[in-house]
Amino acid sequence: MTAATRRAERLALPAGLALTLGVLLVVFYFPVGRVLAEAVVRAGRLTLGPLLAVLRDPFYTGAAAGLLRDPLGVPAGVLGWLRAGAPPPRLGLFGFTAYQAALSTLASVALGLPGAYLLARYEFRGRATLRSLTILPFVLPSIMVAVGFLAMFGQRGTLNDVLRGLGLGPVHLLFTLQVIVLAHAFYNAPLVTRLVSAAWETVDRRRLEAARSLGASPAAAFRDVVLPAVRPALLTAALLTFLFTFMSFPIVLALGGLRLATVEVWLYARVQDLRLGEAATLATIETAFTLGLTYVYLRYEARQAASRAGGEPPARRPLFDGWATLRDPRRLGLLAYGAVVIVVFVGPLVSLLVESVTGPGGGFTTAYYHFLADQQLAAAAGTVKPLPAIRNSLVFGVGTLLVAVPMGVVVSLVATRGGRGSRLAEALLSAPLAVSGIVVGLGLLQSFVFGTTVFGVRLVLVGPVAIVAAHAVAAYPFVARNVTPALADLDPRLAEAARSLGATRLRSLTDVELPLVAGALLAGAAFAFAISLGEFSATVVLAEGVKSVTMPVALERYIGNRSIGPSLGPATAMGTVLLLVTAVSFVAIDRLGGRWAP
Amino acid sequence: MSDVEPGVELDGLTVAFDDVVALDDVHLAVEPGEFFTLVGPSGCGKTTTLRAIAGFETPSAGAVRIGGVDVTGVPPEDRQVGIVFQDYALFPHLSVRENVGYGLRYRPPPGGGARAERVTELLDLVDLGGLGDRTPEQLSGGQRQRVALARALAPGPEVLLLDEPLSALDARLRQRLRVTVRAIQQELGITTIYVTHDQAEALAVSDRLAVMHAGRLEQVGTPEAVYREPASRFVASFVGDNNLFEGTVASVDPPTATAAGTVFALPSAAGLATGDAVTLAVRPEALRVGPGETTLEATVRSVEFLGETYRLHCAWRDRTLLVTADARLEPGDPVSLGVDAGDVHLLEGGPRADASLDADGRPAGGDA
Repeated sequence: MTAATRRAERLALPAGLALTLGVLLVVFYFPVGRVLAEAVVRAGRLTLGPLLAVLRDPFYTGAAAGLLRDPLGVPAGVLGWLRAGAPPPRLGLFGFTAYQAALSTLASVALGLPGAYLLARYEFRGRATLRSLTILPFVLPSIMVAVGFLAMFGQRGTLNDVLRGLGLGPVHLLFTLQVIVLAHAFYNAPLVTRLVSAAWETVDRRRLEAARSLGASPAAAFRDVVLPAVRPALLTAALLTFLFTFMSFPIVLALGGLRLATVEVWLYARVQDLRLGEAATLATIETAFTLGLTYVYLRYEARQAASRAGGEPPARRPLFDGWATLRDPRRLGLLAYGAVVIVVFVGPLVSLLVESVTGPGGGFTTAYYHFLADQQLAAAAGTVKPLPAIRNSLVFGVGTLLVAVPMGVVVSLVATRGGRGSRLAEALLSAPLAVSGIVVGLGLLQSFVFGTTVFGVRLVLVGPVAIVAAHAVAAYPFVARNVTPALADLDPRLAEAARSLGATRLRSLTDVELPLVAGALLAGAAFAFAISLGEFSATVVLAEGVKSVTMPVALERYIGNRSIGPSLGPATAMGTVLLLVTAVSFVAIDRLGGRWAP
Repeated sequence: MSDVEPGVELDGLTVAFDDVVALDDVHLAVEPGEFFTLVGPSGCGKTTTLRAIAGFETPSAGAVRIGGVDVTGVPPEDRQVGIVFQDYALFPHLSVRENVGYGLRYRPPPGGGARAERVTELLDLVDLGGLGDRTPEQLSGGQRQRVALARALAPGPEVLLLDEPLSALDARLRQRLRVTVRAIQQELGITTIYVTHDQAEALAVSDRLAVMHAGRLEQVGTPEAVYREPASRFVASFVGDNNLFEGTVASVDPPTATAAGTVFALPSAAGLATGDAVTLAVRPEALRVGPGETTLEATVRSVEFLGETYRLHCAWRDRTLLVTADARLEPGDPVSLGVDAGDVHLLEGGPRADASLDADGRPAGGDA
């Protein structure tokens, strides 16, 4: 090995870190910072005017606007409100967003907890499969899920078909808060299930036995041993769910529209109208809030990681116990829970598939798939073509992999090194988790698609590059999240042994560490690919024009464009294609992650 | 092996983590071909020293020289150092042969032969000839340890560093392997630095050893010198067992000291004056049952049977004395303990504020 090679190898990792920071700076910090700056700079002068204007506007902040408009009038206002019998206060856009996020969190916890109990305490066929299915929602494109919900709960959806068959009246769920909350629960209840059941399974049987032998009843032992282990996981899951649903965009857009707009949807509408100043102001307030939430979450999670206990979990009970199953209220409850799960989780996906091959008359048809191909042939310029959308999605996915995987590995290396510097770096590098896709898309749009002049050089990123950059920023945290724990579990002496045997830092990484975390690395890569496939928020902002349209964006256009057919057919056909491609990523994640993940 | 074999020299080595000084101005010269041991309780800095020599810790001051060459700023991969870790750190995804051959990817085999031959040679050296195709998972703890040793030696390092290599093994295997390690070291004549918290192990295998405490070297010397003439209270109580008595010089001629109201005869009082504070160290085997030049009247508190001898814990004044005895005594028996001037070892200075020693002057934590 020549000295030059070794020198190059020594530079590789610092260069990788510099490059990662550079990419983040260019496609995340700078654009987002610019959006934020725009909110407080008017005509070259720093001003809080626009921010205060939004905060004082009851349209945005509801009853809380009074706090800023007329602070002295607050006591009188509260009294008046109490005298009026404490009617529901006006929420405003921000209040409504938080309200629906809180409801969604409650629904997710309610729907997820029985699942955690089932997975942690009962044994049955398919338990392992069910467990791995709980990561499915992460990789399902949300716009596709929205189409599934339309197909399931829409006016002519599966649910109403079934109800009609039973002689019951149709229910109107579309464009209601309920269906949005339900769709959010579809996404986040599995997260609750996964985190809580994992914590539940770390409860050491011997600690339960110790409690029982010291005189605790089963209920007391549960309260004193199981609950303290499970509560932090539940809180973590609830915090994350609140954060995700606060920033949720495609689901609210597709299932609620502007009538039930959240901050994200309103923000998107401002961008579409090119009212970018107003959008920047909204983005700033939203980002301040989500960053704060993420900070709380990270602090809480870090504290929890230290107290994670290992041990042998108590033996699981069989779920089915012959006829006795029907006499045990707990088992009956779990069976009822299974029925709910089928309606909420299986229903929308099956409806999507069924709807895509069901003609207006109810018979079998392949017309919508033909439409995908015909549209391709017949489409005039300006309409959304299906095949290029599929091709774009795959190309962007691969591009995202190439950028996000090295970035994720570098971040993981920094994160596992320990020390104060690495915590700072980790925080800096994980901030993208806390900023919504719309805000990133808006920043990229303003900074690079429109062009930016840096030191006299005009920088313009073309749409596809900007999209890949945005996808990579959204995806690399998932690579890092998979790889970091695997790297942290490695004995640091392994790398040191390699170093003492003559390997450079880069070589010890490629010879020893990466092969040993290959499973986690591939799972992270599959996640990154799936995130890119499903990313909607930033893409829809950046894919102005039709050249860079991806499957999720095409899907949304098909929902909106009723001129191409009276039914959801084309959208469901496209959704099915997207589901298939995503399913392949999911199988990859499960195969690779399932073998290696704890 | 080259003609002039290198040694290791530490020159004022200081390592600080944030605000904690792990190594404080350590000066040490390890002779070429020497088997040198760093021994001390956990947290004393012995592993930090080893890691600084290997290049895994950056000194905040001082220098590391290997074979007379300053390697302080040299990255680990460019130091000719072989290291064996406590948990072996074998690469689990590589076979035994690939593990042993790993260092030869980056350094040519010493003597210029083929890589495969060198691997075979090393596997034979550690007596694992037939196990080359196994994975580390398929080996016993002792076998893994030998693979780790072969892997460290394969590229022909100038220095071999052993970081508590035996502590994960059971007691019997530990004793057998330390003989093996010592034999291989002598066969190759390689400069070796061995880190252990087990003072008995340190005494058994080393040419010389250094007792470390709180980031400093307390004493450097041959095992016999360190055992017989401990240089400090810490060494006296860490290496082997000792009974420590704090007192003052009562008279210079004849040399005596008063401790706990009792007059002890001293071997000599050279360099001392009446009234100087001193600490007397008396090994358990130097306290015999029966009268001596100084006799302590004590009561047996408990008895341990150790095989060759008995170990008595005797109450004397408000403290416990350790005594080696040939015969069993029963708890509660009164006992006269004799000590002669020649068996008293004198440590200069009186009691020292030292959090790591308990009331009886033994290291807290029971590491030894």
